[in-house]
Amino acid sequence: MSMRLLAAAVAVEARKATASRVLTSTAVLLVAGVAALAAATTAAATGGNPQLTAKLGPIAAAGGWPGVLNVATQVTAAAGLLACGVALSWMFGREFADGTITGLFAIPISRPTLALAKLIVYLIWAGAVATAVTIAVTAVGLATIGHLPSADGWAGLCRLLALTVMTAALAVPAAWAATVGRGLLPAIAVTVGLMAVTQIVVVAGATGGWFPPAAPALWALAPDTVGPVQLLVAASLPVTFCLLTLRSWHRLQLDR
Amino acid sequence: MTGALIEARGLTRRFPGGAGIGGIDLDVAAGEIHALVGLNGAGKTTLMRVLLGMLRPDEGDVRIAGCALAETDWAQVGHLVEAPLAYAELDGRANLLLAARLHAVPKAKAAQQVEAVLTELNLGAYATVRARRMSLGNRQRLGLAATLQHHPHVIVLDEPTNALDPAGVIALREALLRRAAAGAAILVSSHHLDEVARVAHRITVINGGRVIGALDPHGADLERAFFALVHADDTHRSTS
Repeated sequence: MSMRLLAAAVAVEARKATASRVLTSTAVLLVAGVAALAAATTAAATGGNPQLTAKLGPIAAAGGWPGVLNVATQVTAAAGLLACGVALSWMFGREFADGTITGLFAIPISRPTLALAKLIVYLIWAGAVATAVTIAVTAVGLATIGHLPSADGWAGLCRLLALTVMTAALAVPAAWAATVGRGLLPAIAVTVGLMAVTQIVVVAGATGGWFPPAAPALWALAPDTVGPVQLLVAASLPVTFCLLTLRSWHRLQLDR
Repeated sequence: MTGALIEARGLTRRFPGGAGIGGIDLDVAAGEIHALVGLNGAGKTTLMRVLLGMLRPDEGDVRIAGCALAETDWAQVGHLVEAPLAYAELDGRANLLLAARLHAVPKAKAAQQVEAVLTELNLGAYATVRARRMSLGNRQRLGLAATLQHHPHVIVLDEPTNALDPAGVIALREALLRRAAAGAAILVSSHHLDEVARVAHRITVINGGRVIGALDPHGADLERAFFALVHADDTHRSTS
């Protein structure tokens, strides 16, 4: 794979991404949604709302920085997966839905290089979204609580940043599904399925750390309960689906 | 092999149900415009997809400028098969710059190339208009500009006059004649026999996924000759 052609492919994908309403609006909705929910729950916790304890657990209901971070982490894990799945569905599936995929054959840049460029641009987008989510939650915490977080709070914010990037990585099966399914809807279906299974596993309890899609969220909420081996196992999911996506683009035929 | 820039030998690709192409031989020489004509579903698009690597053949061989597809220098190829390469969120100029980068045109040269093709295909008014706001015909014209702007040696166009207005048809015709005169090999499929007769050096007729004959571009009644070939082939196949 030529680095010159990869750089050209990244430039092309970056140009499409910066002009994309889908990527921009998805990022804005996620950041605003996480910040709004964190602010709302903190305000409700201050008022001693018993339903909050039932829904989000005692840490969220306790308020303060632990409450803000707990809510932000829970919301980011679920909504972030959906947002990232939508972003990947669009980046990969739109080539099939719009018919532009034919123009990506018979050019000097190979299809796996194009797919890799899409994943690189997606990762950059995810990094920017993670940074924005963390800054927004920090701002919400400062505005509602009125003081800087403790060392534990800063660590929680760092885990929130890492969780957002890891959640973005966990959505990569959507890129593969968009390719294999030749469109956006199969990727959305895979994303929603992944969300549903993850929620069930998390609710089911203790063994969730060994389920790759659940491990980052459980680690971000309670770092002592998920070890490095479990996080490495979780990392195998996006790596596997990145490779499967590149392979699918390499073997792609316009036969349906 | 013949030294033609596009060479196909014994190309076969069948889909479930029997559609597709079977045993097609085809050459397009440098400086030649070779037209494929056939009814809907005859196999023209499938043939072009196989020639461009969008479909792998069940049998047969394709060579572009003497090279197998895996070794082809795709920077020297331009194609438009089915949908134009036009991203809705980008304007005409940005789409063309993207297409230039995808064809490995150096960034410094791409801008100059884009301005030239905007002028050549009368697209200047759409340089700053997003593709989503363009009419179908102007998106097609944009796709043709993306195909032709890097002056490829090999050009493959599937129904390029689709949705074009008469001015667009003339602009395309002149652009193709200029490139053929400069030595490009051009394969073009069309339903429009009159248009084909104006530009093509050779006309090959496809029916039922096979080459069934050729038409003389300078012949007196192209339409009658075309339907006579197709009817004879249909009759032959139904009785055999």
